[in-house]
Amino acid sequence: MDLTVYLLDTLVFMGIFALLAMSLNVEYGFTGLGNFGKVAFFMAGAYTYAITAALGWPFYLCLVFAALVAGALGALISLPALRLREDYLAIVTLTFGEILRIIIKAEQGLAGGVWGITIPSAFAGLDLTPRMTAWANVVLVWVIVVGVFVFLQLLINTPYGRVLRGIREDDVAVQVLGKSFVLYKAQALMVGSAIAGVAGGLFAQYLRFIDPYMFLPLVTFLVWVMLILGGPANHWGALIGAVIVEFFNRGSRFLKDYLVLPFDPNNVQFIIFGLLIILLLLYRPYGLFREKPLRTGAEAEVLKWPSSP
Amino acid sequence: MAILAVEGISKSFGGLQVLQSASLEVAEGTITGLVGPNGSGKTTLLNTIYGLIKPDEGTVIFRGQKISGLAPYRIYDAGLAFSFQLPRLFFQLTVLDNLLLAARNQVGTSFSGALFRRRRWRRQEAELARKALQILELLGLVPLALHATGELSGGQRKLVEIGRALMSDPVMILLDEPAAGVNPVLGRKIYQKLRALRDQGLTFLIIEHKLEMLLDFADRIYMMDAGQVVLSGTPKEVIENPVFYATYVGETKNVTFPG
Repeated sequence: MDLTVYLLDTLVFMGIFALLAMSLNVEYGFTGLGNFGKVAFFMAGAYTYAITAALGWPFYLCLVFAALVAGALGALISLPALRLREDYLAIVTLTFGEILRIIIKAEQGLAGGVWGITIPSAFAGLDLTPRMTAWANVVLVWVIVVGVFVFLQLLINTPYGRVLRGIREDDVAVQVLGKSFVLYKAQALMVGSAIAGVAGGLFAQYLRFIDPYMFLPLVTFLVWVMLILGGPANHWGALIGAVIVEFFNRGSRFLKDYLVLPFDPNNVQFIIFGLLIILLLLYRPYGLFREKPLRTGAEAEVLKWPSSP
Repeated sequence: MAILAVEGISKSFGGLQVLQSASLEVAEGTITGLVGPNGSGKTTLLNTIYGLIKPDEGTVIFRGQKISGLAPYRIYDAGLAFSFQLPRLFFQLTVLDNLLLAARNQVGTSFSGALFRRRRWRRQEAELARKALQILELLGLVPLALHATGELSGGQRKLVEIGRALMSDPVMILLDEPAAGVNPVLGRKIYQKLRALRDQGLTFLIIEHKLEMLLDFADRIYMMDAGQVVLSGTPKEVIENPVFYATYVGETKNVTFPG
């Protein structure tokens, strides 16, 4: 493959994973919800995109619909999950991902089952060279990444974001202070799932072929590594974490061609990620980027207050 | 006229009967104290009133409305506020944010309000911040306003916990040992502030072990023992009752009522 196309391909994947890491950040970083089924919503988005694109819908409508379907699934899973304690939420979401994958695998009529499904490229009619198509994909993905980033920054630095952070710290205290945490948790799961759905749609559009084996629980854990590395409750952290992990991921694949090792470096990367997480949790539990204090304009009043230092 | 009426509340945890048909009434615009030996059910009763624990039997009426069975955030809506015995703060958030989270009727706490009514909530944030700073001024916490509450000492955390209850503009506040872990001078200052708020019409139900505070500041005292309300009256009446000594003070030494 052309090296430029390969680098552009890496950029596309970095963008898709940045979306996933930011979506997990809304749920875990800010609201404290340990969603271990991230891949389910990613997969729901990808398959929704595939099915709607096959119906001949334009790509932007497919993406919007992917977000809606994944968001609706997020709302659905919040119904039983939010009444459970955190550790049970992790188990429920993890199994949900596997159940969804097995259903899609088994239902051949829905989207090809184990055989997978092909998807038309969003840029099919434009008659572009492979390099131009790669560029178009990079632009498409990163425009959406920037859009989601700005949206989430706007959403988080508000009194709403304060309630989400409060729920992460102590949901009973939030309840005592007059806010129903069930509603907020459900909304956080919906927003996070919708973003994961968009990421899935972009993934399907870009690869132009998906099958159930692309959506193993490993994807979820990769996203967790990105977020923990980058720093939960900081969207820059989620973004940079995704870029770094994806860079490592690609780098180790390259290594295979240039280094003669008695083992496959592809397998070593998981050992490296594991070590990285252990070291991070020991020495830098808040990740590369720390959580920033909330900025709603209220903090400015403190400095104006006569008796403040 | 009772603003809060607790009628026949019973609660057991497993085989342990914590509350046995406990009843009490709180008159509007008063400071009502709740005393009793450890394990007599005071905190459980307070938690039950606020909906944190569901009673097995009995009802709680607040301003003519039955609030037992409602979730805590509905009880907050009815005009009650609650302060935990052990502070349950948002430890990674600042002191200011802890108070602001408690404020009532915020435009920016809903998903759509946060996104689409930016100018409204930004103005409201500034107003609420000034209100929070007034409360922090009273509690002596202004210099710490932008520090995470996780950095504060135990006593300071207790003050933030009380500040949050004041922040929500309630009609009535349930306080679980507001002066515990706070130095005596500040403890008195808190009670003086509570009295000033009572004079403005606020109602308080306060669990307190510091008898001198209740003698000076409470209008009425209830005493609990073994899950039941066994004694009630003005501080003077209660302190002169021999039952009070037998169950709570533990001796029959003659204490004179000041004033």
